[in-house]
Amino acid sequence: MNKWTSTQMMAVALARQIKDGMTCIVGTGLPLLGASLAKNTTAPHAVLIFESGIIDGNPLEVPTSVGDLRLSRLASVLWPQYRYLGFQNNSRKKNKIDLGFLGGAQIDPYGNLNSTCIGDYLHPQVRFTGSGGANGIAGNVNTIIVMEHQKRRFCEKIDYITSVGWGDGPDGRSKLGLPEVGPQAVITELGVMRFDQNTRRIYLAEYFPGVTVQQITDNTGFKMDTSRALEAEPPSEEVLEFLAKL
Amino acid sequence: MIKSEDKIMTMSEAISKFVHDGDCLALGGFVTNRRPYAAVREIIRQKIKDLYIEGGPAGGDVDMLIGAGCVKVLINSYTANSGYSQVCRRFRHAVEHGSILWEDYSLDVQAIMYHAAALGLPYVPVKNMLGSSLISQWGISRDIRVRDSKLPDHKLIIADNPFDPQDKVCLLPTPRIDTAIIHVQQACTDGTCRIAGNVFCDPDIAMGADNCIITCEELVSDDELRREPWLNQLPGLVPDAVVHVPFGAHPSQCAGFYDYDEPFFITYDQASKSDQTFKDFLFEWVYNLKNHAEYLSKLGEIGLNNLRITPGYDYVFGLRGVDCHE
Repeated sequence: MNKWTSTQMMAVALARQIKDGMTCIVGTGLPLLGASLAKNTTAPHAVLIFESGIIDGNPLEVPTSVGDLRLSRLASVLWPQYRYLGFQNNSRKKNKIDLGFLGGAQIDPYGNLNSTCIGDYLHPQVRFTGSGGANGIAGNVNTIIVMEHQKRRFCEKIDYITSVGWGDGPDGRSKLGLPEVGPQAVITELGVMRFDQNTRRIYLAEYFPGVTVQQITDNTGFKMDTSRALEAEPPSEEVLEFLAKL
Repeated sequence: MIKSEDKIMTMSEAISKFVHDGDCLALGGFVTNRRPYAAVREIIRQKIKDLYIEGGPAGGDVDMLIGAGCVKVLINSYTANSGYSQVCRRFRHAVEHGSILWEDYSLDVQAIMYHAAALGLPYVPVKNMLGSSLISQWGISRDIRVRDSKLPDHKLIIADNPFDPQDKVCLLPTPRIDTAIIHVQQACTDGTCRIAGNVFCDPDIAMGADNCIITCEELVSDDELRREPWLNQLPGLVPDAVVHVPFGAHPSQCAGFYDYDEPFFITYDQASKSDQTFKDFLFEWVYNLKNHAEYLSKLGEIGLNNLRITPGYDYVFGLRGVDCHE
């Protein structure tokens, strides 16, 4: 029996993507938990940016939204939102943002993401929040995607492309007029997936302690390469201690 | 000369004067931060109908307007009480049952559209949304748009960049907003406003709208805000009404004053699950209360004091977990 919950392991895996000193745009939900964890443990010098216009926030507590006052603590600047749009462009020119973190409801093998609806857009079976800032983050920076691992969420074809990943493959983004950045990893409660450098298709990179590769395959709605998969490191004591206080 | 005495109004007066059936409203704030809830409750109380709703990422305020039957069209980028209702439930119900019209843009694109409105630009070109369903899927068809004078004929237009024909751009229509409502920390009688914390899109929607209602935590003397004018966001020339409503953003948070009301958001999440429980909620928290003063006394002094920010922080310290290093 593990000493951590699957949500905690997700947050840990997410926090591991944030190296100390990196600059990251963080979306709402689990990314906020992972980023707050990294900032308070392994990556105190990470620069966290939010689509609400909060630049370099220092959350001591886990915020509920990207506009939460917890994020403004010791921030460098609180920009009006239109400047955030400009900053995406400015920082892409200068290659200043290392990663963006996104959540989603559905994903396809090329990392295209749906956070809008299940079913027909005009007559949805399930409606979600909508893009928020996700579309712009996916458009401009390399991303890490965080989501639940279920067959109906990992599907060959998604119902709505809220945020473009690698499009339809190797030259998918250039065909759409998008810069050559895109999804780097997908983190779920079962493991970490990455994208092949040549085909841009998703593959299993790590499975979490206590999870089997078969379990992951069973919960994935498309064929996924698992030949490169390794078992992930368990979370450290320090990190578990922080998580226990949340 | 700004005649300041004309601007100070009760909420009931301001809403009656500047919000009418079929108007396009833009609301300020961000999800669970500084949303103009007191104004929203008065709009519901006055049973105003067929509204077109614009504004930044919305929360329970827009959800309440939808659930109370006030909304005809929602221009959406995000609607949630994040952390409490991951998708606002009345919004979700209305979209799934087709009882409102809606359109989706991304949040950053909406921000630039409101900035365009503030600057008086006829439209704005962006590189955002290309290749996504936000471009190809229209919530409101061309047919409906052409017949509706409140809406632009196109959600967007993809065009060649005239300066570089190899380059595709997305042209966005500038929103036409009848009335903006924003909640600020301080306003003075002439309408000068000071927002603490993030301003979000608020100065832009205030400037972009034909009319602007300011609701404020504190009504202060004109002198007080003029001592440090660099901290102010709007001159008195922009607002048309100023309404003094302490805790006017409740249950959302308001920098320098109070945090969000976590138990209230949980109650709202439960209440918004069904038509009947939501109706009961509206009677309890809106219709059965004559005005904001009655709302505050129902919340009670102790309840409100618990929401006040901890000195040295801009939120209630410890509400969302405590850092082990401090």
